[in-house]
Amino acid sequence: MAACLIVAAATVASLVIGRYSINWTEVFQDSMSAKVFFSLRLPRTCMALAAGFGLAVTGSVYQAVFQNPLAAPDIIGVSSGATAGAAAAILFLGGGVAATALCAFAGGLAAVLAALTLAAVSRRSGIATIVLSGIVINALAQAILMLLKLTADPEKQLASIEFWTMGSFSDVTMDKFSGVILWALLGIVGIFLLHRQILLLSLEEEDARMLGVPVKWMRRLVLLLATLITGAIVSVTGLISFIGLLAPHIARLLTKSSRFSTTVLSGLVGSGLMLIADCLARSIASSEVPVSIITSLLGAPFLFFLLCRKGESND
Amino acid sequence: MTDLLFAEHLCAGYGGPEILHDVSFRIDHGELCALLGANGSGKSTLIRAVCGLLPFRGKCFLEGKELSQLSQRARAQKISYLSQRSSLSIPLSVMDVVLMGYNPVLGIFQTPGKAKRHRAMEELRRVGMEHLAERDILSLSEGQRQLVMLARTFVRGAPLLVLDEPDSALDFQNRHKVMELLQAQAHEEGRGVLLCSHDANFAMQYADRLLLMKDGKLCSDISMQACGCEELQQALSKLYGPITLAEHRGNYFMMKG
Repeated sequence: MAACLIVAAATVASLVIGRYSINWTEVFQDSMSAKVFFSLRLPRTCMALAAGFGLAVTGSVYQAVFQNPLAAPDIIGVSSGATAGAAAAILFLGGGVAATALCAFAGGLAAVLAALTLAAVSRRSGIATIVLSGIVINALAQAILMLLKLTADPEKQLASIEFWTMGSFSDVTMDKFSGVILWALLGIVGIFLLHRQILLLSLEEEDARMLGVPVKWMRRLVLLLATLITGAIVSVTGLISFIGLLAPHIARLLTKSSRFSTTVLSGLVGSGLMLIADCLARSIASSEVPVSIITSLLGAPFLFFLLCRKGESND
Repeated sequence: MTDLLFAEHLCAGYGGPEILHDVSFRIDHGELCALLGANGSGKSTLIRAVCGLLPFRGKCFLEGKELSQLSQRARAQKISYLSQRSSLSIPLSVMDVVLMGYNPVLGIFQTPGKAKRHRAMEELRRVGMEHLAERDILSLSEGQRQLVMLARTFVRGAPLLVLDEPDSALDFQNRHKVMELLQAQAHEEGRGVLLCSHDANFAMQYADRLLLMKDGKLCSDISMQACGCEELQQALSKLYGPITLAEHRGNYFMMKG
């Protein structure tokens, strides 16, 4: 309930805060305020809300499936694949917004499919094989990215690639939002439906198998659904750090559990954090600051706090 | 009546040299069998093979059906398995952990209903952990976790229980309690129990049969009701070297030397 209120308050703040002050009495008339509200603030707020929710939910999925509290989409190459895709679009397709989003989405999905295929081909089961395959694909995508950066025009294209990796909501439009929200929703609904199976995947493989979980294909399905969400979000926003790591930990700290309600709470915490980070990003300096800078500034101390807390509980 | 579990000429390993050599045995409904042997004798390998977690040569039948023909889900419905250590890595309530035991009989999207929750609480009560039902499992001691895992193993009522050292972290009282519960599962509920243990004294006190393993082979299959002190001492000394058996109130106790 408190989380819903915080998210609602952050949503209102996100709709209000901005360089152009909106005259609320003119929002539903044909006015400048209406244009700013419907074409800038509303899509931006909706995207931040959805991005925070989606990244937080996928964060909790990655942490459970990889049995690692620090697991993030990078672990199986989503982020580096998406970045390589976006860079390719900036270089070869003119860097149009739609082309960049599409290529980033395809890049992220292709990287995860490649990592999962590699893991399947290796004929070794276990989560470590997927992690190792992810490292291979990550390295490959990074190499491609470096190659693309090397050939990029340093003033325009290279700057665009770097800006993309820092994440921003400044280019979000209602068209882009509606283009990706269905994919993200599809992934979120799938994850919610499979919530119980995801918890079982957090056990050792032998235990999960003896509890009737078809571990191999369930793991692949869940990771693909999580990739669908992450890929859809970052294709529009660029890379956003720490939300997927932070929000599930906060939710678990509050509930001391990993129930379905904890996953929903984690999504709400993610939305709240993302909205606050985006409000800060567009209001703390004269020009807009990339949102990943803010989320990293919020995330790093929290990670340190978790580290100290773990240390205390181990003493 | 068909054997609950019938293994014939089982051989298994982990990809390298075979660890289990030509092991044959059977377990009936209502029977508590303790698997004894030194470290590295192949007990856990045998348990894994029987659960279908390791590829094996030979034949293994579960209620008359060949194990290799059963799907993982079908196997999980018939065998309730408890590994040596709880493999929990994320915070979960004790109740949620016990409810995980129902997964083999639930649809992928299905969640356990009221009756199943009630039964889960009954099982927690049976192991003396009902007062911790809402606690985070990660905040419990290893021994308490073992009791919760035991409740998870019992909850579904699978015909065969396979347990790999379920009492390794328990205190004296709780070890007796766990063995009594396992005995009740076999004798009162008619389930078959295959228990891997390092404590021959507990095994002799509670088990109906002892399966003794040495160097990957089954060296003795002893019925506790039918065998005498001398036969038992001879069989156990094959595993543990020179030992003496003492009898007290109908129970045997093993001492070194």
